[in-house]
Amino acid sequence: MRNSFVDALYEEAKRDENIILITGDLGYQLFDKFADNLPKQFINAGLTEQSMMSMAAGIASTGKRVFVYSIANFSTLRCLEQIRNDVCYMNKSVVIVSVGSGFAYGTLGYSHHATEDIAIMRSLPNMEVVSPCDKFEADVLTRMISHTQRPTYLRLGKAGEPDLHSNYPTMVFGKFAELTSGSDGYIFFTGSIGLVALDAKRELENLGKSVSIISVPFISQLDEEYLQKISTSKPIVVLEEHGKRGGLGSAFLEKFNELGIRADITHIAASQEEISLTGSQDYLREMNGISTKNIVAVFR
Amino acid sequence: MCHNVSVNESKRSNSANISSELAKSARIEILQMTHDAKASHVGSALSVVDILAVLYSDFANINPLNIDSVDRDVVILSKGHACTALYAVLSLREFFPNEWLRRYCTNGAELSGHVTSAYVPGVELSTGSLGHGLPYGLGIQLSRQRYSVDGRTYVIMSDGECDEGTTWESALLANHHGLDKLFVIVDRNQIQSMGSTENTLALEPFDSKWRAFGWNVIEVDGHDHNQLRNAFEIPVNGKPTCVIANTLKGKGIDFMENQVLWHYRPPSTQDLNNALLQLSSESL
Repeated sequence: MRNSFVDALYEEAKRDENIILITGDLGYQLFDKFADNLPKQFINAGLTEQSMMSMAAGIASTGKRVFVYSIANFSTLRCLEQIRNDVCYMNKSVVIVSVGSGFAYGTLGYSHHATEDIAIMRSLPNMEVVSPCDKFEADVLTRMISHTQRPTYLRLGKAGEPDLHSNYPTMVFGKFAELTSGSDGYIFFTGSIGLVALDAKRELENLGKSVSIISVPFISQLDEEYLQKISTSKPIVVLEEHGKRGGLGSAFLEKFNELGIRADITHIAASQEEISLTGSQDYLREMNGISTKNIVAVFR
Repeated sequence: MCHNVSVNESKRSNSANISSELAKSARIEILQMTHDAKASHVGSALSVVDILAVLYSDFANINPLNIDSVDRDVVILSKGHACTALYAVLSLREFFPNEWLRRYCTNGAELSGHVTSAYVPGVELSTGSLGHGLPYGLGIQLSRQRYSVDGRTYVIMSDGECDEGTTWESALLANHHGLDKLFVIVDRNQIQSMGSTENTLALEPFDSKWRAFGWNVIEVDGHDHNQLRNAFEIPVNGKPTCVIANTLKGKGIDFMENQVLWHYRPPSTQDLNNALLQLSSESL
């Protein structure tokens, strides 16, 4: 997902010299091609996340589209007030890019786990929260947001996640991207955790059940048209690799309430009962209750 | 605009008159606004107003007709609590109508109690939380450097604001990128929220800190318009410049000068009358 983002951004920036990429001294070798070929458009700001974010807003005020890249908590929480005041309050054309969604950097410890970022970023006015699920969505979404002006948060996994789509999907702002369609319920998810949803789908097929698996790439503006057509008597799962408070699950509950949709939602997200656990992404997902088994149980 | 050249004496004298008149009129507006709105920070505004008056009188290339020009000079008041000084100067320079000052801080007003840009022509950045103006301003200058766009950026900060980590991150960044059209002016009135800067979190030796970060440093009397003007005329030499402007909080009103109290207390009607009397009888 990360490489797909960089490749897509490089191509867009080659065509448009008003696209600028700032990194907070992260992405070893990742940006070599960009930095070598587009030096005017590349800045390594060092480890100055707060100043880097205000600086990005300042650069954006000169008519640029500025991407700011770091590991998830460093490009979001470390400089939250700079995002709030200089990007959102000023409504500047800055894209905050985070790498390492959820437990992607599992073994690196809680400092590197991105488990509150959706909650916090989606609470900010003017902010568009964008969350691709695989390299195909990352490519398409990067190109889409390269040419808008809104403050945007792009939440990336890391490199080498399995593909969930089979090809580049057609994507529209504010619309879901359906992976599969079924008749026995829904699994809405965001990000690379969709892999667990697809695992659950296969197990459910063995039980004779088919479910719709829907990627939610635009979290700030849920697809109302889709939601108003769902069959509310069927089980609905909202799945995310993020803490339970304030993320995609909360966004769904708020939207259902706003639209007057009465339905039971099962929210599967990180329990965060023990945040100091060390282990792989798969291990931490499992230990936080994000598992194929827990999804399948909803549809039994 | 007179960058990098020495102005002749008659022009200098003329400019000093213009900026002094502007500062005096702005002081009256500041007192009236803080009185009417029962607002804080009158001392902070009186401290910084001469710096703004010099920049907006004739020095900085910014006026109501060029606020959207890409190569205008940018002035950022990072100490957003001194907003009345900026609003007064902008209004006196006809960026927006004087009536807006009369509505300061009222419901639905254009002008709020910290610098707000959304509805106010000439305001570049909404501030209020300290430590944002410098990194934002350096972003503007970094972009201009990369894309060969002319124009300077002046960021006016408080000395207390130099406690913020972003000040020193930005000091590193501006030096690293050689942003020599970036000016920081520190309103060095030696007072921050709860007392003196040196008792709160010592800044001295202040000038050598900036020098060690690779900046030009010029120390001036922040109420002396000619000294301020001279400081801004420093030849471009590849380095950003910090002007340490030694000031008095509450400058110009004897009972407000150099007192923390006037960071908070709005002028009563009697305070206002006394202050206006002083301004009318003194030549600043």
